[in-house]
Amino acid sequence: MTPRRALHPGFWLVFWRELGWLRRRPFLLVLTTASPLGLMALLTAVFSAGLATRLPIAVLDLDGSELSRTVIRTVDATPDVAVSQRVSDLGEGRALILSGRIHGLLLLPANLERDVTAGRRPEVVFFYNTQRLTAGNLALRGVSNAVPNVAAGIRISLRTAQGQPSEVAQPDLTPIPVQTHALFNPTLNYVHFLLAALLPSVLQVVVVTAAAYSVGLDVETPHRLHSLRRLGGGLWPAVAGKTLPYTLLFLMVLGLSDTVLFGVLGMPLRGDRGLLLLAALLFILACQFLGTLLALVLRPMGSAVSIATLLTAPAFGFMGIGFPRIGMSAFAHGWGAILPGTWFLTARIDQTIRGTPPALSARPLLILLAIAVGLAALLALRLESLRAERVLHEATP
Amino acid sequence: MSGVLAVFRGEFRRIFALKPVFATLVLAVAIYAVFYPQPYLNEALRDVPIAVVDADNTLSSREMARRIDATPDIAVALVLPDLPSAEREVQARSIHGILVIPREFERDLLHGRSAPVALYADAGYFLMYQRLSGGVTAVARTFGAEVEATRLVALGVDPALALAAGDPMPLTAVALFNPQGGYATYVLPAALVLILQQTLLIGVGLLGTLPGARVAEASPVATVLGKLLAYLTLETAAVLLYLVVLPFSYGIPRLGPLWAILFVALPFVLAVAGLGLVVAAVFHRPLVVQLVFAAVGLPFFFLAGFAWPTESIPGAVHWIAQLVPSTTAIDALVRVSQLGAPLPLVRDQILVLWGLVAFYGTLAVLLEARRAERPILASP
Repeated sequence: MTPRRALHPGFWLVFWRELGWLRRRPFLLVLTTASPLGLMALLTAVFSAGLATRLPIAVLDLDGSELSRTVIRTVDATPDVAVSQRVSDLGEGRALILSGRIHGLLLLPANLERDVTAGRRPEVVFFYNTQRLTAGNLALRGVSNAVPNVAAGIRISLRTAQGQPSEVAQPDLTPIPVQTHALFNPTLNYVHFLLAALLPSVLQVVVVTAAAYSVGLDVETPHRLHSLRRLGGGLWPAVAGKTLPYTLLFLMVLGLSDTVLFGVLGMPLRGDRGLLLLAALLFILACQFLGTLLALVLRPMGSAVSIATLLTAPAFGFMGIGFPRIGMSAFAHGWGAILPGTWFLTARIDQTIRGTPPALSARPLLILLAIAVGLAALLALRLESLRAERVLHEATP
Repeated sequence: MSGVLAVFRGEFRRIFALKPVFATLVLAVAIYAVFYPQPYLNEALRDVPIAVVDADNTLSSREMARRIDATPDIAVALVLPDLPSAEREVQARSIHGILVIPREFERDLLHGRSAPVALYADAGYFLMYQRLSGGVTAVARTFGAEVEATRLVALGVDPALALAAGDPMPLTAVALFNPQGGYATYVLPAALVLILQQTLLIGVGLLGTLPGARVAEASPVATVLGKLLAYLTLETAAVLLYLVVLPFSYGIPRLGPLWAILFVALPFVLAVAGLGLVVAAVFHRPLVVQLVFAAVGLPFFFLAGFAWPTESIPGAVHWIAQLVPSTTAIDALVRVSQLGAPLPLVRDQILVLWGLVAFYGTLAVLLEARRAERPILASP
């Protein structure tokens, strides 16, 4: 940055030159800061509600009795669903499901009240759309919480009315109630589950592609690589000086999105902050090494960026958040294991919502370290072979 | 008209002649077709490992644990003496749930008293939580009902009445369109539409920024029409592969007829291609197109209101998201193709897509006209 420094080739010269580049090349700066922050902000806005509530369903009430109205009121009162429509036949309900305006249809059969009182066990039917798994399951949860509640209310009166002995009338509808505790995310909040994992996944794509691009700018021709080496006083300090500015920049981007996640959206931070920072550093370095390696192996630069995209853009599914890795085929499981994001997300979940003791959380961190070291070793091999090529090139005019 | 055909022929040739374009529009489409679905192909999450902490240790409690282990959803991996040791195993990720059967479980059950059990399920992964709570609750309900009915019958109650007394108004849940709750069936129809969009967007963006994009003698309208025709021709094959062949080979149900799918896919492909032309005119450089669109796939997917319901997305965000063709197309194509919705029920979505075609098409013509006014610069 200053003329005095410019006289001494080395790590700092390349470091400051890179920062100068970022100032002079707005695209590079946008690509590494504004673009990931913008995408993260968009995802945060999408999931800002955290919980999906009052999903619309329709009711077909063929009974029109006091009991059927009680069922509808109880269903509508659950937080998960809202009775938005009354329909007069099944066809109308089906069309509403197909039009996407409702997530399910509750059918209350004719003579419901009469048959319940007579002990004939009439069925209440809930049709729900599981093509959209999330919404369908939430709607079912609301209805299946509400209907047994109404049933429980009529059960005891039913038994005593049948003239059964009182000790028969007393016990519960569900002899074995299950008290379910949702560990680590008691409110089943999508911000803590999905958004918290999506943000680093977006960053993974950005870091790998941006590293391939920024290094690509310097190595597109042997001549440029040569000048980079001279500026750095050797290939090693040159590559280090080239990498570090972006490491810091991406750490800041992640820090900013985490500030919103933990500070505004109430994501719990129960673990060790030092480990969380270490995991983030290893993750960003591993991604940078991967991008750098691609830029050094593949020419032209467009191919390096293409392959970087191909590796990272579909990575989210392999990292096992939506569909856990224990359910995957051997190939998908293995592919997920070599992605830095898989282990970063594991370590991150450990050190945020789970509050895992450090001793039990060592595995993802060690694997992340191994991936970073492995990529660095490949990078070293590639740099050495480039140097050898260069020497050979110079020796043979 | 001859101008349109000349542009069409030239552009179609460029798709196969330019390496990066061919890699995006043909190779990447082929690779993603095989690669992307891999994590989901097992459809269901099975045998989620849990530990049982059985403080009762009776015939009934062991029977309960055995029945839970027998469900396809859950596997009892460990039997542990207390809750703290089980919690440690959860933290170590060797299990994802704990079932605690308290003392006096059998005694309460046989005396007709409520005999609760406690399930601690890992909600860090929603699918695991759902499998565990669903599986355990179902076993508890049937096992409990059996014990209860046996007891009532022993007391001299009529068996049919004993059942009715247990549950006077049973709820039957009928899962439509994806009755097994399969994950591939859920996620792939939407994801495949998004992959079509992203590859076409980057491909058209590259075609418009690589050398040779300008046809000097054609009018702006003819240029845009000819190019759109070329992309449409190529994407016909991609659409058939992604919306018909792939769902079939991955065993995903398809209720809609082919012609209806194509009827919705037509404005979708044209809208994406039009957006691609605008993108190319705005960004100028092929690398910029590649880099800008590398990371947008994930946000675009969740904007579509498919994995996360539209009702829960803030209104302003949803409104802006309409500018991205996949937002509307995923909804419309999944409903027509997987749900078998008749076309009148996706009329609004089709109109939005044609609106986007008109908007991006006009914008592309205007940008093309502006570009034609400037002298041809040597491409850098």
